[in-house]
Amino acid sequence: MSPSSTPSLPLGTSPAFAGMHKWLKRGLIVCLTALVIEGAFTVPFCFIYYGWPTLSLQDVCSELMRVRYSDDNVVCQYPYPLFGPAEGELAKKTAQDRWGVLPRPLYKRIGFRELVTIHNERLARQAASKT
Amino acid sequence: MNNQTISEHDRRRKRALIAFQIVFYGYLLTMFLTQMYMYSQRDW
Amino acid sequence: MSAASMRLGGGHTALDDHDDKSRQAQRRADTWMISGALFLGTAILGFIGLPLYLRGLSIQSQAERQGLSVRPVIVTLIGYLVIIDAALNSFGWALDMIAHHTLVARVFLTTWGAMFDGGYFWHYNELWIGGATAPGEKSWEIALLPVVFCMRLAAAIGFLQMKRWGQQWLVVTCWFGVVAWTGYVANMTIFADVRYAHVAFPVWGWWLYDIFYITPFLAIPYLHSVNREIFSE
Repeated sequence: MSPSSTPSLPLGTSPAFAGMHKWLKRGLIVCLTALVIEGAFTVPFCFIYYGWPTLSLQDVCSELMRVRYSDDNVVCQYPYPLFGPAEGELAKKTAQDRWGVLPRPLYKRIGFRELVTIHNERLARQAASKT
Repeated sequence: MNNQTISEHDRRRKRALIAFQIVFYGYLLTMFLTQMYMYSQRDW
Repeated sequence: MSAASMRLGGGHTALDDHDDKSRQAQRRADTWMISGALFLGTAILGFIGLPLYLRGLSIQSQAERQGLSVRPVIVTLIGYLVIIDAALNSFGWALDMIAHHTLVARVFLTTWGAMFDGGYFWHYNELWIGGATAPGEKSWEIALLPVVFCMRLAAAIGFLQMKRWGQQWLVVTCWFGVVAWTGYVANMTIFADVRYAHVAFPVWGWWLYDIFYITPFLAIPYLHSVNREIFSE
Protein backbone atom coordinates (compact mmCIF):
# COMPACT_ATOMS: atom_id res chain seq x y z
CA MET A 1 0.00 0.00 0.00
CA SER A 2 1.65 3.17 -1.16
CA PRO A 3 1.39 6.02 1.30
CA SER A 4 0.94 8.61 -1.43
CA SER A 5 -1.23 8.10 -4.48
CA THR A 6 0.80 10.07 -7.04
CA PRO A 7 4.59 10.33 -7.30
CA SER A 8 4.52 14.15 -7.17
CA LEU A 9 3.10 14.29 -3.64
CA PRO A 10 5.48 14.18 -0.71
CA LEU A 11 5.59 11.04 1.42
CA GLY A 12 2.66 10.95 3.82
CA THR A 13 0.58 13.58 2.04
CA SER A 14 -2.69 12.46 0.45
CA PRO A 15 -4.32 14.51 -2.33
CA ALA A 16 -6.98 15.79 0.07
CA PHE A 17 -4.39 17.59 2.12
CA ALA A 18 -1.83 18.50 -0.54
CA GLY A 19 -2.81 22.19 -0.61
CA MET A 20 -2.87 22.47 3.17
CA HIS A 21 0.53 20.82 3.51
CA LYS A 22 1.98 23.17 0.87
CA TRP A 23 0.90 26.24 2.83
CA LEU A 24 1.96 24.74 6.14
CA LYS A 25 5.40 24.09 4.64
CA ARG A 26 5.69 27.74 3.63
CA GLY A 27 4.65 28.94 7.07
CA LEU A 28 7.12 26.53 8.67
CA ILE A 29 9.98 27.80 6.50
CA VAL A 30 9.18 31.39 7.51
CA CYS A 31 9.02 30.50 11.21
CA LEU A 32 12.16 28.37 11.09
CA THR A 33 14.16 31.10 9.34
CA ALA A 34 12.94 33.69 11.83
CA LEU A 35 13.74 31.51 14.85
CA VAL A 36 17.20 30.71 13.54
CA ILE A 37 17.91 34.42 13.06
CA GLU A 38 16.40 35.27 16.44
CA GLY A 39 18.37 32.50 18.14
CA ALA A 40 21.63 33.78 16.69
CA PHE A 41 21.16 37.52 16.95
CA THR A 42 19.01 38.22 20.02
CA VAL A 43 21.79 38.20 22.58
CA PRO A 44 24.24 40.31 20.52
CA PHE A 45 21.43 42.74 19.69
CA CYS A 46 20.32 43.07 23.34
CA PHE A 47 23.87 43.45 24.58
CA ILE A 48 24.79 46.09 21.98
CA TYR A 49 21.55 48.03 22.44
CA TYR A 50 22.34 48.44 26.13
CA GLY A 51 25.92 49.56 25.71
CA TRP A 52 28.15 46.50 25.42
CA PRO A 53 31.07 46.38 24.60
CA THR A 54 31.61 50.07 25.50
CA LEU A 55 30.33 49.17 28.94
CA SER A 56 31.39 45.87 30.48
CA LEU A 57 28.67 43.30 31.21
CA GLN A 58 28.90 44.14 34.88
CA ASP A 59 28.43 47.85 34.11
CA VAL A 60 25.43 47.11 31.88
CA CYS A 61 23.97 44.99 34.68
CA SER A 62 24.55 47.74 37.26
CA GLU A 63 23.14 50.52 35.07
CA LEU A 64 20.01 48.49 34.35
CA MET A 65 19.64 47.85 38.06
CA ARG A 66 19.89 51.58 38.73
CA VAL A 67 17.11 52.29 36.24
CA ARG A 68 15.03 49.44 37.63
CA TYR A 69 15.29 50.63 41.22
CA SER A 70 15.57 54.37 40.47
CA ASP A 71 18.65 54.47 42.67
CA ASP A 72 22.16 55.48 41.59
CA ASN A 73 23.86 53.58 44.37
CA VAL A 74 22.98 49.97 43.58
CA VAL A 75 25.59 47.77 41.99
CA CYS A 76 25.49 44.34 40.35
CA GLN A 77 27.63 42.07 42.44
CA TYR A 78 29.83 39.80 40.41
CA PRO A 79 30.34 37.00 41.17
CA TYR A 80 27.15 36.81 43.17
CA PRO A 81 27.60 34.93 46.49
CA LEU A 82 26.27 31.41 45.99
CA PHE A 83 23.94 31.32 48.97
CA GLY A 84 23.27 35.03 49.27
CA PRO A 85 19.84 36.65 49.38
CA ALA A 86 17.94 37.40 46.17
CA GLU A 87 19.62 40.35 44.45
CA GLY A 88 16.55 42.56 44.53
CA GLU A 89 15.93 42.02 48.24
CA LEU A 90 18.48 44.65 49.17
CA ALA A 91 17.43 47.22 46.56
CA LYS A 92 13.65 46.95 46.50
CA LYS A 93 12.89 49.87 48.81
CA THR A 94 13.81 52.49 46.22
CA ALA A 95 11.75 51.06 43.35
CA GLN A 96 9.13 53.44 41.97
CA ASP A 97 5.81 51.72 41.30
CA ARG A 98 2.14 52.44 41.41
CA TRP A 99 0.87 49.51 43.44
CA GLY A 100 -2.53 47.90 43.29
CA VAL A 101 -4.07 44.75 41.91
CA LEU A 102 -2.54 45.71 38.54
CA PRO A 103 0.89 47.11 39.44
CA ARG A 104 2.42 49.73 37.19
CA PRO A 105 6.17 50.38 37.03
CA LEU A 106 7.33 53.99 36.89
CA TYR A 107 10.93 53.56 35.73
CA LYS A 108 12.07 55.28 32.54
CA ARG A 109 12.28 53.88 29.04
CA ILE A 110 15.88 53.32 27.90
CA GLY A 111 16.80 54.28 24.32
CA PHE A 112 19.45 52.84 22.02
CA ARG A 113 22.80 52.90 23.87
CA GLU A 114 21.39 55.44 26.30
CA LEU A 115 22.98 53.52 29.16
CA VAL A 116 26.41 54.57 27.88
CA THR A 117 25.40 58.26 28.09
CA ILE A 118 23.84 57.76 31.52
CA HIS A 119 26.95 55.97 32.74
CA ASN A 120 29.33 58.62 31.40
CA GLU A 121 27.24 61.46 32.79
CA ARG A 122 27.26 59.86 36.22
CA LEU A 123 31.04 59.43 36.16
CA ALA A 124 31.40 63.08 35.10
CA ARG A 125 29.10 64.15 37.95
CA GLN A 126 31.04 62.13 40.47
CA ALA A 127 34.36 63.50 39.20
CA ALA A 128 32.99 67.07 39.33
CA SER A 129 31.66 66.63 42.86
CA LYS A 130 35.01 65.33 44.02
CA THR A 131 36.89 68.44 42.80
CA MET B 1 -7.34 3.95 -4.33
CA ASN B 2 -9.83 6.81 -4.23
CA ASN B 3 -7.48 9.51 -5.34
CA GLN B 4 -10.14 11.30 -7.37
CA THR B 5 -12.72 11.81 -4.64
CA ILE B 6 -11.91 13.10 -1.22
CA SER B 7 -13.59 10.96 1.43
CA GLU B 8 -16.22 12.53 3.62
CA HIS B 9 -14.03 11.79 6.62
CA ASP B 10 -11.08 13.65 5.12
CA ARG B 11 -13.30 16.55 4.10
CA ARG B 12 -14.62 16.95 7.64
CA ARG B 13 -11.12 16.61 9.08
CA LYS B 14 -9.83 19.31 6.74
CA ARG B 15 -12.66 21.66 7.69
CA ALA B 16 -12.03 21.06 11.40
CA LEU B 17 -8.31 21.76 11.02
CA ILE B 18 -8.97 24.98 9.12
CA ALA B 19 -11.56 26.03 11.71
CA PHE B 20 -8.97 25.43 14.42
CA GLN B 21 -6.48 27.69 12.63
CA ILE B 22 -9.06 30.46 12.22
CA VAL B 23 -10.22 30.27 15.84
CA PHE B 24 -6.74 30.27 17.24
CA TYR B 25 -5.22 32.99 15.09
CA GLY B 26 -8.39 34.95 15.76
CA TYR B 27 -7.74 34.63 19.48
CA LEU B 28 -4.14 35.80 19.06
CA LEU B 29 -5.23 38.72 16.89
CA THR B 30 -7.84 39.70 19.48
CA MET B 31 -5.26 39.69 22.24
CA PHE B 32 -2.83 41.70 20.12
CA LEU B 33 -5.48 44.29 19.28
CA THR B 34 -6.53 44.45 22.93
CA GLN B 35 -2.96 45.14 23.94
CA MET B 36 -2.53 47.77 21.23
CA TYR B 37 -5.71 49.43 22.43
CA MET B 38 -4.35 49.42 25.98
CA TYR B 39 -1.12 50.94 24.64
CA SER B 40 -3.08 53.74 23.04
CA GLN B 41 -5.02 54.49 26.22
CA ARG B 42 -2.31 54.21 28.85
CA ASP B 43 0.92 56.10 29.12
CA TRP B 44 3.39 53.34 28.30
CA MET C 1 11.49 8.71 -6.96
CA SER C 2 10.94 6.49 -3.93
CA ALA C 3 13.14 3.60 -2.87
CA ALA C 4 10.17 1.24 -3.29
CA SER C 5 10.20 1.69 -7.06
CA MET C 6 13.74 0.30 -7.22
CA ARG C 7 12.94 -3.00 -5.46
CA LEU C 8 15.00 -5.88 -6.96
CA GLY C 9 15.73 -9.50 -5.95
CA GLY C 10 17.34 -10.80 -2.67
CA GLY C 11 20.91 -10.27 -1.36
CA HIS C 12 22.70 -6.97 -1.05
CA THR C 13 21.06 -5.04 -3.82
CA ALA C 14 21.22 -1.60 -5.32
CA LEU C 15 18.22 -0.86 -3.09
CA ASP C 16 20.15 -1.76 0.07
CA ASP C 17 23.01 0.36 -1.18
CA HIS C 18 20.66 3.24 -1.80
CA ASP C 19 19.06 2.78 1.63
CA ASP C 20 22.44 2.73 3.35
CA LYS C 21 23.64 5.83 1.55
CA SER C 22 20.36 7.61 2.30
CA ARG C 23 20.50 6.70 5.96
CA GLN C 24 24.11 7.81 6.25
CA ALA C 25 23.43 11.11 4.50
CA GLN C 26 20.40 11.75 6.70
CA ARG C 27 22.39 10.94 9.82
CA ARG C 28 25.24 13.26 8.82
CA ALA C 29 22.86 16.09 8.06
CA ASP C 30 20.97 15.52 11.32
CA THR C 31 24.11 15.50 13.45
CA TRP C 32 25.03 18.96 12.19
CA MET C 33 21.49 20.28 12.33
CA ILE C 34 20.67 19.02 15.82
CA SER C 35 23.93 20.40 17.25
CA GLY C 36 23.27 23.69 15.50
CA ALA C 37 19.66 23.77 16.70
CA LEU C 38 20.66 23.13 20.31
CA PHE C 39 23.29 25.88 20.22
CA LEU C 40 20.75 28.22 18.62
CA GLY C 41 18.36 27.27 21.38
CA THR C 42 20.70 28.48 24.08
CA ALA C 43 20.37 32.02 22.65
CA ILE C 44 23.62 33.00 24.34
CA LEU C 45 25.65 30.61 22.14
CA GLY C 46 23.43 31.23 19.13
CA PHE C 47 26.21 32.46 16.90
CA ILE C 48 27.97 29.11 17.12
CA GLY C 49 24.77 27.31 16.18
CA LEU C 50 24.04 29.16 12.96
CA PRO C 51 26.92 27.83 10.82
CA LEU C 52 26.49 24.30 12.23
CA TYR C 53 22.80 24.32 11.35
CA LEU C 54 23.34 25.70 7.85
CA ARG C 55 26.01 23.06 7.19
CA GLY C 56 23.52 20.32 8.07
CA LEU C 57 20.87 21.90 5.86
CA SER C 58 23.23 21.98 2.90
CA ILE C 59 24.18 18.30 3.42
CA GLN C 60 20.48 17.39 3.41
CA SER C 61 19.76 19.43 0.24
CA GLN C 62 22.80 17.92 -1.46
CA ALA C 63 21.60 14.40 -0.59
CA GLU C 64 18.18 15.18 -2.01
CA ARG C 65 19.70 16.51 -5.22
CA GLN C 66 21.72 13.28 -5.54
CA GLY C 67 18.44 11.37 -5.48
CA LEU C 68 18.84 9.82 -2.03
CA SER C 69 15.71 9.04 -0.01
CA VAL C 70 15.72 11.48 2.80
CA ARG C 71 12.91 12.37 5.17
CA PRO C 72 10.00 14.44 3.75
CA VAL C 73 10.98 18.11 3.87
CA ILE C 74 7.96 19.09 5.94
CA VAL C 75 8.86 16.50 8.60
CA THR C 76 12.36 17.98 8.76
CA LEU C 77 10.96 21.49 9.03
CA ILE C 78 8.51 20.63 11.79
CA GLY C 79 11.08 18.59 13.71
CA TYR C 80 13.73 21.28 13.70
CA LEU C 81 11.28 24.08 14.30
CA VAL C 82 9.99 22.27 17.36
CA ILE C 83 13.54 21.59 18.60
CA ILE C 84 14.65 25.21 18.21
CA ASP C 85 11.35 26.52 19.65
CA ALA C 86 11.53 24.16 22.64
CA ALA C 87 15.25 24.78 23.16
CA LEU C 88 14.92 28.59 23.06
CA ASN C 89 12.07 28.44 25.53
CA SER C 90 13.69 25.80 27.73
CA PHE C 91 17.15 27.30 27.94
CA GLY C 92 15.79 30.81 28.38
CA TRP C 93 13.52 29.72 31.18
CA ALA C 94 16.10 27.41 32.69
CA LEU C 95 18.41 30.44 32.96
CA ASP C 96 15.58 32.36 34.59
CA MET C 97 14.75 29.54 37.00
CA ILE C 98 18.19 28.34 37.99
CA ALA C 99 20.92 30.68 36.71
CA HIS C 100 19.23 33.96 37.47
CA HIS C 101 22.16 35.34 39.47
CA THR C 102 24.89 34.64 36.95
CA LEU C 103 26.16 37.78 35.21
CA VAL C 104 25.38 36.72 31.67
CA ALA C 105 21.85 35.57 32.58
CA ARG C 106 21.14 38.77 34.49
CA VAL C 107 22.30 40.89 31.55
CA PHE C 108 20.55 38.77 28.89
CA LEU C 109 17.22 38.53 30.70
CA THR C 110 17.03 42.09 31.98
CA THR C 111 18.08 43.55 28.62
CA TRP C 112 15.43 41.42 26.91
CA GLY C 113 13.03 42.55 29.60
CA ALA C 114 13.79 46.24 29.22
CA MET C 115 13.41 45.89 25.49
CA PHE C 116 10.37 43.65 24.96
CA ASP C 117 8.76 42.29 28.11
CA GLY C 118 8.86 44.21 31.39
CA GLY C 119 8.10 41.02 33.30
CA TYR C 120 11.82 40.21 33.00
CA PHE C 121 12.91 43.66 34.10
CA TRP C 122 10.47 44.82 36.79
CA HIS C 123 11.85 43.91 40.23
CA TYR C 124 13.98 41.23 38.58
CA ASN C 125 15.50 38.76 41.08
CA GLU C 126 13.44 40.01 43.96
CA LEU C 127 11.48 36.81 44.58
CA TRP C 128 13.09 34.28 46.89
CA ILE C 129 13.07 31.92 43.94
CA GLY C 130 14.82 34.55 41.80
CA GLY C 131 14.21 35.45 38.18
CA ALA C 132 11.20 37.09 36.60
CA THR C 133 8.64 38.61 38.93
CA ALA C 134 5.70 39.38 36.64
CA PRO C 135 2.48 37.97 38.13
CA GLY C 136 2.04 34.40 37.01
CA GLU C 137 5.29 34.23 35.06
CA LYS C 138 7.19 31.97 37.43
CA SER C 139 4.20 29.62 37.62
CA TRP C 140 4.11 29.33 33.85
CA GLU C 141 7.83 28.57 33.84
CA ILE C 142 7.47 25.88 36.49
CA ALA C 143 4.51 24.33 34.68
CA LEU C 144 5.85 24.46 31.13
CA LEU C 145 9.58 23.92 31.40
CA PRO C 146 9.74 20.39 32.85
CA VAL C 147 6.45 19.25 31.36
CA VAL C 148 5.79 20.79 27.95
CA PHE C 149 9.18 21.79 26.61
CA CYS C 150 11.15 18.77 27.74
CA MET C 151 8.48 16.46 26.39
CA ARG C 152 8.27 18.43 23.16
CA LEU C 153 12.03 18.21 22.65
CA ALA C 154 11.97 14.44 23.13
CA ALA C 155 8.95 14.04 20.86
CA ALA C 156 10.59 16.10 18.11
CA ILE C 157 13.67 13.90 18.15
CA GLY C 158 11.50 10.80 17.86
CA PHE C 159 9.51 12.50 15.09
CA LEU C 160 12.68 13.26 13.12
CA GLN C 161 13.61 9.59 13.43
CA MET C 162 10.24 8.84 11.79
CA LYS C 163 9.09 6.91 14.85
CA ARG C 164 5.38 6.42 15.51
CA TRP C 165 5.72 7.41 19.18
CA GLY C 166 7.44 10.62 18.03
CA GLN C 167 4.48 11.57 15.85
CA GLN C 168 1.97 10.67 18.57
CA TRP C 169 3.74 12.52 21.34
CA LEU C 170 4.30 15.52 19.12
CA VAL C 171 0.51 15.71 18.73
CA VAL C 172 0.09 15.62 22.51
CA THR C 173 2.79 18.19 23.24
CA CYS C 174 1.62 20.55 20.48
CA TRP C 175 -1.84 20.57 22.05
CA PHE C 176 -0.12 21.38 25.35
CA GLY C 177 1.41 24.28 23.42
CA VAL C 178 -2.06 25.52 22.46
CA VAL C 179 -3.03 25.62 26.13
CA ALA C 180 0.26 27.35 26.98
CA TRP C 181 -0.19 30.06 24.36
CA THR C 182 -3.78 30.68 25.42
CA GLY C 183 -2.97 31.10 29.10
CA TYR C 184 0.32 32.90 28.70
CA VAL C 185 -1.04 35.56 26.32
CA ALA C 186 -4.11 36.05 28.52
CA ASN C 187 -1.85 36.57 31.55
CA MET C 188 0.22 39.12 29.64
CA THR C 189 -2.90 40.99 28.60
CA ILE C 190 -4.33 41.16 32.10
CA PHE C 191 -1.05 42.33 33.65
CA ALA C 192 -0.10 44.40 30.62
CA ASP C 193 1.05 47.39 32.68
CA VAL C 194 3.87 45.37 34.25
CA ARG C 195 4.75 43.79 30.91
CA TYR C 196 4.79 46.78 28.64
CA ALA C 197 5.07 50.05 30.57
CA HIS C 198 8.27 51.87 29.58
CA VAL C 199 9.86 49.03 27.65
CA ALA C 200 11.76 49.95 24.49
CA PHE C 201 9.36 48.29 22.03
CA PRO C 202 6.00 47.86 23.77
CA VAL C 203 3.41 45.39 22.45
CA TRP C 204 4.52 45.24 18.82
CA GLY C 205 8.11 44.32 19.84
CA TRP C 206 7.02 41.28 21.84
CA TRP C 207 4.53 40.14 19.20
CA LEU C 208 6.94 40.58 16.31
CA TYR C 209 9.56 38.59 18.20
CA ASP C 210 7.32 35.87 19.60
CA ILE C 211 4.84 35.28 16.79
CA PHE C 212 7.34 32.91 15.18
CA TYR C 213 6.90 30.54 18.11
CA ILE C 214 3.52 29.45 16.73
CA THR C 215 5.01 26.05 15.88
CA PRO C 216 2.17 24.06 17.52
CA PHE C 217 -0.45 25.73 15.36
CA LEU C 218 1.40 24.88 12.19
CA ALA C 219 2.35 21.39 13.30
CA ILE C 220 -1.12 20.31 14.51
CA PRO C 221 -2.85 20.39 11.10
CA TYR C 222 0.02 18.43 9.55
CA LEU C 223 0.20 15.86 12.36
CA HIS C 224 -3.54 15.26 12.16
CA SER C 225 -3.60 14.91 8.38
CA VAL C 226 -0.39 13.04 7.58
CA ASN C 227 -0.58 9.36 6.72
CA ARG C 228 0.66 7.72 9.92
CA GLU C 229 1.95 4.70 8.02
CA ILE C 230 5.09 6.59 7.10
CA PHE C 231 6.09 6.55 10.77
CA SER C 232 7.37 3.18 11.85
CA GLU C 233 7.97 1.12 14.99
